[in-house]
Amino acid sequence: MVGRIRSKAGPDGLAAGPFARRRLLNGDIVFRLVAAAAAGLTIGLIGLMVFDSVQAAWPAFQRFGLDFVTGIRWSPSFTIYGALPFIYGTLLTSAIALLLAVPIAVLIALLVTEFLPTQVGRPVAIVVDLLAAVPSVVWGLWGLLVLVPFMRPIEQGIADGPGRLIPFLGPPTPGPSYFVAGVVVAVMIVPIVAALTREVFATTPRLQREAVLALGGTRWDVIRCVVLPIGRTGLLAAVLLGLGRAIGETIAVTMVIGNAPRIGGSIFSPGFTLASVIANEFNEATEPLHAESLVGLGVVLLVIAIIINGAGVAVRRRFERSAGRGR
Amino acid sequence: MAADYGALLSPTSRGRRFKANLVVALAVVATTFALVPLASVFLFLVTRAAGVLGPDFLLQDPPGDLSAAGGGIRNAITGTLEMTALATFIAAPVGILIAIFDTEVGGRAATGTRFFIDVLVALPSIVVGIFVYSLIVVAQGHFSGFAGSVALAAIMLPVIVVSTEEMLRLIPRPISEGARALGLSRWRTYASVFLPTAVSGIFTGLLLAVSRAIGETAPLLFTALGNNFFSTDMNEPMQGLPLLIYRNALNSAFPAARDRAMGAALVLVLIVLAFNLLGRWLVARRKLSRSTGQ
Repeated sequence: MVGRIRSKAGPDGLAAGPFARRRLLNGDIVFRLVAAAAAGLTIGLIGLMVFDSVQAAWPAFQRFGLDFVTGIRWSPSFTIYGALPFIYGTLLTSAIALLLAVPIAVLIALLVTEFLPTQVGRPVAIVVDLLAAVPSVVWGLWGLLVLVPFMRPIEQGIADGPGRLIPFLGPPTPGPSYFVAGVVVAVMIVPIVAALTREVFATTPRLQREAVLALGGTRWDVIRCVVLPIGRTGLLAAVLLGLGRAIGETIAVTMVIGNAPRIGGSIFSPGFTLASVIANEFNEATEPLHAESLVGLGVVLLVIAIIINGAGVAVRRRFERSAGRGR
Repeated sequence: MAADYGALLSPTSRGRRFKANLVVALAVVATTFALVPLASVFLFLVTRAAGVLGPDFLLQDPPGDLSAAGGGIRNAITGTLEMTALATFIAAPVGILIAIFDTEVGGRAATGTRFFIDVLVALPSIVVGIFVYSLIVVAQGHFSGFAGSVALAAIMLPVIVVSTEEMLRLIPRPISEGARALGLSRWRTYASVFLPTAVSGIFTGLLLAVSRAIGETAPLLFTALGNNFFSTDMNEPMQGLPLLIYRNALNSAFPAARDRAMGAALVLVLIVLAFNLLGRWLVARRKLSRSTGQ
């Protein structure tokens, strides 16, 4: 056991050498066992929690089968539980959030790494990061009391004007909506995407930049010809990781999405996301199948989040490897 | 970065220069635009919540009825501090040990734990709440501050592991060589050399994890549940600032509930900012001492 977990090199990269066997004293064995126990226990606990939850949701999966995911009706009073309205809501708000946040975040990262001198860029980056320090529930409160009243006439104007002709932009516009939820989530993921993108842009090899400048290129040419093409993979990773955060965002969304368990035909209509329906109904779910179905929504959300984040982490590792090679 | 790129920017065609300036302008506009919500939220809190704040607001408990005026948020402040403190006591040692396991043992086992840490990062906080509910609340038979702490610990753990691992990896090679040369055992090396060297970095990671956990609402909904009364008993349902803000905001049609939510939000933001800025300041100071010192 101990022999198996012993490595050839320490964290410092120093080979253990011929004395290593003697150096692994009793204290070291205990030390390693304690560390291994912490890791093992944590993994075990996560596994147990996932298993517990899947088990708790099992009756709902069993009863509805695939209809649980594709069903368009969620009605506790008729004990019909279909998650599609919430999957739709989650994907729609996340898509709106990404469309708004990614261009802004990329432009912020460009400003900080490419246009501003370091002494000015760093404070700007810190202030942008502060967006992430404001708790979700505070963004929700702000959304509810400031953004919704502000957006209501705008939504109404669009819905009554061009919205009559363009799909997804029509009425009704009560205020809380997929769109407002998307805006709030966008505000919350801008700092995350901007920070990740900043890291990506900062790894651009200097020689390549200078080559473009030497050829008489402008700073925009540097970005167009070097920074963006080289950082493409890293940018994709940043978008995926931002999407992962957007999908799991709960409280702020619950407060501004209007809590309507149906597929709204317009981005200005109220809806529900997977996370917000759980937050809203779980404490009131007295009927067992209702609670089991809500846990089932949690499992669906977990699967979506793990796929997206897993893709993000994988793409990011790939970018880091290629960036490491390039230097 | 001392090179003067400006000298290289010889005149090019007007169209290309115009495009370059356009992108700069766009970037400035986008950044300003992104900061509008930040300014708006602070303005909102300062202008509309500051009037609610006062000694009574901090030192009294809320009335049993959300719509009733008066009272304060004492139970939520103590609850948040208590649950976050316990969460830190759970997550910090475990997180640091996992980071040590990953760096010290390495290999396939570490790849495995890293995968699970990635999963933990990916977990939506509401799902953490459901997990802890089915593991602890169902087993105990009631909601509790303890369950809330465990949920917050799950949020903090990956932050602590990642930052500690980074710090351990940054330990200068001569220091580890010195430890080897002295013939120190591995645990002695960590206890007396590596951890003290990395302590400020690890502490910074802890602060950032705390500032993240303090503001979390979703993991507490089905674990700590919330409590209208003052309680320091970890076995009882416990109130937290985010929970109080959430429940009062949902009833914001009542002016009293709205004011309470806004006042509590200002207090929460101030607490989170204190931890966050302290952490950042420590990072900046360390970077400074590293670049000027030695």
